[in-house]
Amino acid sequence: MQATAARPLDPAQIRALGVLLVAAQLPLVVHLPIWVAAFGLFVAGLRFALLRRDGRLLRTRPARIPSWALALFAVAIALALRKSYGYFVGRDPCVAFLFVLAGIKFLEIRTARDGTLLACLAMFVALTPFFYSQSLLGGLAMLPAIVAAGVALEALARREPGAADPSMRSAWTRSASLIAQGLPIAAGLFLVFPRLATPLWGLPADHAAQSGLSDRMAPGSISELSLSDAVAFRVTFDGPPPRPADRYWRGPVLSLFNGREWRALPPRPGGSLARGDRPVRYAVTLEPDDHRWLFALDLPSSLPVADSGSVASSGPVASLARDLQLVTRAPLTRPLRYVQESILGTRHPVASADELRIDARMPPGNPRAVTFAQALRREHPGDRDYIATVLRWFRDQPFHYTLQPPLLEDHPVDAFLFDTRRGFCEHFASAFVVLLRAAGIPARVVTGYQGGEINPRGGYMIVRQSDAHAWAEAVVDGQWQRFDPTAVVAPSRIERGLYGSVPASDPVPLFARGDSGWINNVQLALDAINYRWRRNVIEFDHDRQRTLWRNWGLDGFPAWQAAAVAMAAVLAWAGAVFAAFAVKRRRGERTVRLWNALCRRLARAGLPRPAWEGPIAYASRAAKRWPQFAIAFGAIGDAYAMLRFGPVSDDERSALVATLARAIEVLPSPAALRATAHT
Amino acid sequence: MTVRPASQTLPTSRRLTAVLQQIAQVVVGKNEPIRLALTCLIARGHLLIEDIPGVGKSTLAQALAAALGLQYARVQFTSDLLPADLLGVSIFDSRSNAFRFHPGPVFRSVVLADEINRAPPKTQSALLEAMEERQVSQDGETRLLPDPFFVIATQNPVEQIGAYPLPESQLDRFMLAIELGYPDASAERDLLAGGDRRPRLESIAAQADAPTLREWQREAASIHVAPALLDYVQALLAASRGHAAGARSERLEGMARRGLSPRAGLMLLAAARAYALIEGRAMVVPEDLQAVFAAVAGHRLAGGARAGAALAQALLRAVPLP
Repeated sequence: MQATAARPLDPAQIRALGVLLVAAQLPLVVHLPIWVAAFGLFVAGLRFALLRRDGRLLRTRPARIPSWALALFAVAIALALRKSYGYFVGRDPCVAFLFVLAGIKFLEIRTARDGTLLACLAMFVALTPFFYSQSLLGGLAMLPAIVAAGVALEALARREPGAADPSMRSAWTRSASLIAQGLPIAAGLFLVFPRLATPLWGLPADHAAQSGLSDRMAPGSISELSLSDAVAFRVTFDGPPPRPADRYWRGPVLSLFNGREWRALPPRPGGSLARGDRPVRYAVTLEPDDHRWLFALDLPSSLPVADSGSVASSGPVASLARDLQLVTRAPLTRPLRYVQESILGTRHPVASADELRIDARMPPGNPRAVTFAQALRREHPGDRDYIATVLRWFRDQPFHYTLQPPLLEDHPVDAFLFDTRRGFCEHFASAFVVLLRAAGIPARVVTGYQGGEINPRGGYMIVRQSDAHAWAEAVVDGQWQRFDPTAVVAPSRIERGLYGSVPASDPVPLFARGDSGWINNVQLALDAINYRWRRNVIEFDHDRQRTLWRNWGLDGFPAWQAAAVAMAAVLAWAGAVFAAFAVKRRRGERTVRLWNALCRRLARAGLPRPAWEGPIAYASRAAKRWPQFAIAFGAIGDAYAMLRFGPVSDDERSALVATLARAIEVLPSPAALRATAHT
Repeated sequence: MTVRPASQTLPTSRRLTAVLQQIAQVVVGKNEPIRLALTCLIARGHLLIEDIPGVGKSTLAQALAAALGLQYARVQFTSDLLPADLLGVSIFDSRSNAFRFHPGPVFRSVVLADEINRAPPKTQSALLEAMEERQVSQDGETRLLPDPFFVIATQNPVEQIGAYPLPESQLDRFMLAIELGYPDASAERDLLAGGDRRPRLESIAAQADAPTLREWQREAASIHVAPALLDYVQALLAASRGHAAGARSERLEGMARRGLSPRAGLMLLAAARAYALIEGRAMVVPEDLQAVFAAVAGHRLAGGARAGAALAQALLRAVPLP
């Protein structure tokens, strides 16, 4: 064993390992800083270059890099990663470190033991892209690495190094077919192998990975978000989806204002569910964003319940805060699918007087806005009248809705209202709430998403980061009511989405354009496939599995019986594969079948072939016995000998098989042969 | 004549057939031994002929050399033959005041070592070493033998008194061992009617020369051997060692003294390739292997061509084709 492990690797083995490593590295490249990706691949390429040089110079000792240099490399890389990321213990820098280390390991492998180690390392590297994305595309990108792993393991298992080096191509075909044979077993185990109700460990996520809306809003934060095509969540509706103007997905509610930036209050429990006769029922699949809030249409009338097929699982996944935010216990690091009901409405009751106290505070700073509001308030003492006047003022003054507002320095609300008048939804919502609060009306900013695109291919709605929006709520007649100043300035934003409402010169993410170009179509089709993949494969958990078993009527059986059935199925498949091999080997190629059939026929005609006799000798014996068929027998002997023992190309092979078949067809039946035998 | 694949019209095959025809004019009724002798020469092996005197051994050797345009030497081995008589000797030349090497008969392309078992072991092994190394080291100087270099040794299996039979390890140096045997009736009649054949040797026209022969040897070495055929060779070797059930009964009869070595397997393949070249095929078929098997395996299995040949035939019939 020791001797085997210490055996040096031959170039073919090193090449196979290198291909495996590169195949494992490539899918990860998109998640790494460019210098890490380039360096890791460079190191692997370096070894290939050394290998080529060894082959050219036929040196007795392979070129090698001293191990102290490699150790130095590793330390330098670790330091560089620390510098590049700002921290070291976390998912991203550690994956990057592994990426480079695997390359360095490849530089120094010498023995079979090193080779096995590198193969394991490469397979782990191949898994790491799933820390970032579990999309179907990611799965497909892993396929080359899986097949390459088979090739590398086969190369490592070769007993005699260098001896009878099998061609690379046949090794690839072999590995691919082995994996294909294993697929049904994997699929069966996927469906029936018992799953844990909770994962043993969570996916490591770095804090840098937060995305989407946050609990703060400063001028520019949402317009920055709007430049992203990334999917925030997907929704399937029971029944028709609401009209575009009603698609307000409520997220963080911001009540605290410091003159420039809005912040959310810590969530306080005690929100009351809305009641209504026609709730909208839908299921949301939320992308992990490392935040604690879930999104629901307007007024939630139920608490969100995790969706796992038809089994209603344990309790709600979030609670309703007083300001109607749905808040989970822990930040979301895995995709979550939940079922939710909402009432479409713009008004809801005030939960507590405490709420009003905070939301009616006089806004700090921005003296011009405060003065303006107070003057306006004196003319319009009624709340409704005042709010309507403010909205009218927004509409009549030359305000512009744009993704590229000018930079606002001190007193941003003042500057926006009276100087620049160019802004995005956060500017309008913020200025609107400031004007209301300055007039003594309790108001607050609500952020979330507005809109969403129906994917006709999957029948579901995609809500992207570019749909991020901010609007306002104010207390009118003792109830919170929604006001959207953006809708007054740019009504098309609400009706037609972002693209229809900003100037054409503004940079808008590709998929927010909403035109029916082929790129958009392809993208929607891909998104539909990915959505199904996620729904049916990634999210296939303990509960979904239980549901499936119930649908199949399997849950009545005790676990051991189910396991026995599964094992039997797996064994049956393995048996079928082996049997197919055995049949193929026994029947051989068509050549051997034809030849064996001929031997049986001639044996019945009175000329059996001894097992040791060669084809040419047998054919010539037959030609002596039946001289009238000498030409046919000559052709048979020649063709079979060529096929069996000759160097034949594929073209020649099929021609020879045809010749063999034709020559055999010429011969009469065994009985006729027997009658005409020449003795 | 058996039916051969269409590839028979290979130019090399035609020329080799012409060589065989030339030899057959002189050595009558011995087609298969002649073919095997030529096979052995093309496979770069050496030939052992076991037979009684007077069946045409030296005629065959001479005819072979003449038909191929090679230099020929005959050495009669006797009990007082010394290595120097064979290899050559350095003699002091008083005029040039230096030793001068006078090459012995082994410096010819075709050497007939007649009745090799009459010479003492020292002389025998000098020849066998030259066969193996294809060079002669004497007085601290190494001299290459001509290429091609082909030794035909003869051994009289009957008169063994006062002889030194070749040990088994030396027998292994010969690629093929054959018998010539008595001519059949018609050939003998022809022989008797035609009188002495020796003068006919003069009439043989050389069909080749040393460079051509070297080219043929290279061509033979590159003939295709299919994996299935390697399986067959392995099965034959295993059967000779008594591993295969079919050969066990033969071993129990005590005929085989030992199994075939891997070297025997290599020589079997080399001989089969040369045989296939003569037959005009671009690949070796089982028939080629079977044609040379008795000659390759006989003397290795039983120490004698005749006893070995019977055993080899039994082995062939015990091992099915793959």
